[in-house]
Amino acid sequence: MNQVTNDGDGGIDEFSYDDDIVRKFVTATILWGLIATLVGLVVAILLVMPSLTGGMPWLSFGRLRPLHTNAAIFAFAGNAIFAAIYYSTQRLCKARMWSDKLSRIHFWGWQLIIVAAAISLPLGITQSKEYAELEWPIDIAIAVIWLFVFGGNFMMTLIHRRERHMYVALWFYIATIVTVALLHVCNNLVVPAGWFKSYSIYAGVQDAFMQWWYGHNAVAFFLTTPFLGLMYYFLPKAAERPVYSYKLSIIHFWSLVFIYIWAGPHHLHYTALPEWACTLGMLFSLMLWMPSWGGMINGLLTLRGAWHKVATDPVLKFFVVGVTFYGMATFEGPLLSIKSVNALSHYTDWTIAHVHSGALGWNGFMTFGMLYWLIPRLFQTKMWSERMVGVHFWTGTIGILLYIVPIYAAGLMQGLMWRAIDDTGNLVYPDFIETIQTIVPLWWLRVLGGALYVGGVSMLAFNAFMTWWGRPATYEVPVHRAPRLSKEYHDAPVPKSDLEKAPVVEIGRKIDIWSQMGWHRRWERLPIKFTVLTTLAVIIATLFELLPTFLIRSNVPTIATVKPYTPLELAGRHLFVSEGCYNCHSQMIRPMVAETKRYGEYSKPGEFIYDRPFQWGSRRIGPDLAREGGKQSSKWHWDHFNNPSNVSEGSVMPAYQHLLTEDLKFEGIKPHVQAAAYLGAPYTPDEIENSASLARRQAEVIAADLVAQGGPAVMQGKQAIAMIAYLQRLGTDLFRELEEQQAPKTDDELKPGEKQDEEAGQTPASASSTDQTGEN
Amino acid sequence: MLRDLVSALDYAVCAESALALFVGTFLMIFYGTLRLSPSAAERFANIPLSDQVEDPRDE
Repeated sequence: MNQVTNDGDGGIDEFSYDDDIVRKFVTATILWGLIATLVGLVVAILLVMPSLTGGMPWLSFGRLRPLHTNAAIFAFAGNAIFAAIYYSTQRLCKARMWSDKLSRIHFWGWQLIIVAAAISLPLGITQSKEYAELEWPIDIAIAVIWLFVFGGNFMMTLIHRRERHMYVALWFYIATIVTVALLHVCNNLVVPAGWFKSYSIYAGVQDAFMQWWYGHNAVAFFLTTPFLGLMYYFLPKAAERPVYSYKLSIIHFWSLVFIYIWAGPHHLHYTALPEWACTLGMLFSLMLWMPSWGGMINGLLTLRGAWHKVATDPVLKFFVVGVTFYGMATFEGPLLSIKSVNALSHYTDWTIAHVHSGALGWNGFMTFGMLYWLIPRLFQTKMWSERMVGVHFWTGTIGILLYIVPIYAAGLMQGLMWRAIDDTGNLVYPDFIETIQTIVPLWWLRVLGGALYVGGVSMLAFNAFMTWWGRPATYEVPVHRAPRLSKEYHDAPVPKSDLEKAPVVEIGRKIDIWSQMGWHRRWERLPIKFTVLTTLAVIIATLFELLPTFLIRSNVPTIATVKPYTPLELAGRHLFVSEGCYNCHSQMIRPMVAETKRYGEYSKPGEFIYDRPFQWGSRRIGPDLAREGGKQSSKWHWDHFNNPSNVSEGSVMPAYQHLLTEDLKFEGIKPHVQAAAYLGAPYTPDEIENSASLARRQAEVIAADLVAQGGPAVMQGKQAIAMIAYLQRLGTDLFRELEEQQAPKTDDELKPGEKQDEEAGQTPASASSTDQTGEN
Repeated sequence: MLRDLVSALDYAVCAESALALFVGTFLMIFYGTLRLSPSAAERFANIPLSDQVEDPRDE
């Protein structure tokens, strides 16, 4: 596969590096970077001007926000790490990529996946799991391209390398490839209900756990480990000096691999997730401080004796700011994982600021530094404008600060306003919209910061284009000569123990020899064994967390009154998912005084057993909807879809008029019911067979209700009716029995666990195990 | 069978055993890394600085 010639002189190979594939990925990085940041700017503008797009469904915030996150992560950062890996792996292995054909299939396959995402997400085709929104046909393509095409080509290159030791950057790439594949496959196990719709095999609490195990580790192994590999290769190259401490880089690697995978549950503090899992997540998140800062310090100290270069070299400037943001983000991440801090920050803009300090500062600036270092070398000419590189640096830096500082302030304000309680024990800001309106001016500042950042990326695109324009007619392709690595490698003789003459038992000497870690040095030369061991480290940690959650029934006590959704409600839920409502509305009331006062009884794990996918959300631009059922009339919801400001003055929600005008496809409901039934929802064969007529019947009741409340007539066939059916059902099952008996229990009759414990330390999991459970 | 086995476990111990697992492995690797010879560490650290094959390549 390798384009190698052999001169027959003792196995000396002649080979060249494949820089054409790197040029392709570099170009894609710049193009998608521009698009991702532009879409980000658009969604930021939509928050302050919700009616800007005139209610066009494919341009709503709910549909475009996933497009922005997917474009930023998988298109911009994804192509950047591929460029970094293809360039550095060849040079670290002293070998061309194993297969040029696989490299090109990888490139074009990945671009096709991105285009499929860019088309399907605005059309509302989504799984609604954050950073895993893409539907199952695209997911299969991702798995094949990532694992078999990219991973296979990478592994074969390692096997055919000409450098005995695998440099630490390659370790980070290995961890990235195997872990991302594992995360992607496990989180996207679904039952299809058509080409564009699927249902997760996990439900409720388990789905949430799986999603945030994926979500957190997608950040860890897609946005951190490959960028650390990039740092360990490109920073020494740009500084022209080796990494400060190679030993520290080894510790950095193993620590991240062992710790990161445990930390996911900190995204679900105070939710219906078992407390032990949250505590575990918090503990390991806090431990991440050490290796992360070790890595940051290692990066910065690589510049020892070269700080004078930083003043003049824009590439190093980008790297220094990027590594500094890595330190900031990895300090803040563990901070946010502490339960008491998380109680304030979760669902607020604080998380958004944290994410963007990492994405814009760490991922963005490391990518820009790498690109400005690579572009002159790949296009074999000088950068068109060095001055413009400097302007990009300062525009981007100011843009980041102008973005994150107001959003940190907005997050803090939101958190404090939501929890503020006056002397009489009531909420100081009971009107949710008031808490949003207060931060709108800060959102405007974000738009300004985002515009500056996009301006910087535009400069990069223009500068890169002009540099490419000035390229030579043909690129020079240097040819390298090197002997192959011998297949047999004889390790150094087993070292003697330092305790040889010491008065210790034999086992002591053996431990001393073992602890000299000669076995680890061997692993570092064996790519397959190294990959297997890295995979094992990740899998063992994963099983420790996931198995108990999935196999111990008491983690999710069932509630006798919780029933599956009706066919019409299921259709409404599908619309809720498609419109991306979870991007602004959570469905998870935490056991805190301020939350239960604002939204009602806190959420129990058993309430979500039919929720595929879960809809807990991660952000509250709008209020929580976990107990929305029965709060408003059907007419209110109709008017709200028509124009939110009419019934909720100052709302930043866009109009959803297409739900009022577009017909619901009743005949298309059956596959949804079938999929839910296949996954365990107790529908009768009759309910499955007659799902369309059952849905029609319920729609007629809601439409009649709408007319009785002064709404328009003959609307039973519209999509909004299904959405209303779903919203009116939310959170009502818990009280179904009480309503039917017409005799609510008094406080004295309630078991201790049933009393609404409003102390923040109480976990819903422990409370709900005795709460209206049919079985435990 | 797996379900029965895991159900019989006291899962509250998961956090402690996870911590022990991590600490043990971390200490082992930390100690081993410290015992990497300075000359080998220097040689490894210099690998990215040259795109040419350097000799000796073996440890």
